[in-house]
Amino acid sequence: MKTRRLTTCALLTAIALTIFVAEAQIPLPVPVPGMKLGLANIVTVYAMFALGPADTLLIFLSRIVLGAMFAGLNTFPYSLAGGMSCYLIMLLLRKLVSEKQLWVCGAVSSIFHNLGQVGMAILITGTPKLVVYLVMLLPAGIVAGVFTGLAAQFLLARLKKGGIR
Amino acid sequence: MKKPSNRFWALLLGGILLLCVAAGVYLYTRPAPTVGPVAIISLDGEIYDTIDLGAVEEEYTFTVTGKIGLTNDIEVAPGKIRVCRADCPDQICVGQGWLDTDFIPIACLPNTLVIQVVDGEGSGIDSMVG
Repeated sequence: MKTRRLTTCALLTAIALTIFVAEAQIPLPVPVPGMKLGLANIVTVYAMFALGPADTLLIFLSRIVLGAMFAGLNTFPYSLAGGMSCYLIMLLLRKLVSEKQLWVCGAVSSIFHNLGQVGMAILITGTPKLVVYLVMLLPAGIVAGVFTGLAAQFLLARLKKGGIR
Repeated sequence: MKKPSNRFWALLLGGILLLCVAAGVYLYTRPAPTVGPVAIISLDGEIYDTIDLGAVEEEYTFTVTGKIGLTNDIEVAPGKIRVCRADCPDQICVGQGWLDTDFIPIACLPNTLVIQVVDGEGSGIDSMVG
């Protein structure tokens, strides 16, 4: 079923990229560097549980690289660092949470996305003080992550019920 | 492997949330600097300039250019500093407004620009400037 796998990955990448680009247009109430809803993570969380780590890595790397072409290369290092730590913790979470606990996966992966992002920012700017951003990024990330995780959870349950995966 | 319950995760996430709120309240309610604030501007990971904001008498503006060619206009006024114009699309650094305390630094990550304000006395400014 090689074609099917390729098609699924391509479709999910397209969905994630669309969400990513659309989300960049949503203005945030508070100007904090790195803060966002992270809606594209719905796709990553879903893929991790529906398709497995290998396909998820492909989808998510394609999304980050293609996303950089739309959103600009300037924030690419931060996206990549955040995304990679987010992906790595999800490998572990896959073993720790059930399919009815994807909201946990959303929240925890968002925490690690923030950690990776801020870590990279500290590295690039040489300013350890940027760590105080976590005070705002983490709570916002946890709340947004619970919702994106829930969205992935419902998606997974519905598609499974409909016999699609 | 037995998977942790919803309760466990909710407590863990709630705990982290509370910790952040507590840290935020602590940082925000810290006493203000007693000696005039000093702004440290760093660009591309190096200190670009330090300005004694207490000694500024008139407002002025200058432009910094980062390694990748983006520019930010920085406005300095008595006791405070801000980014008043930026090349980047998101304009977060402009939106962060005036900075007059050491609570949260202003950052323009696309241009690797960071502005922080520190207490003029102590707080390690000498070691940072070298």
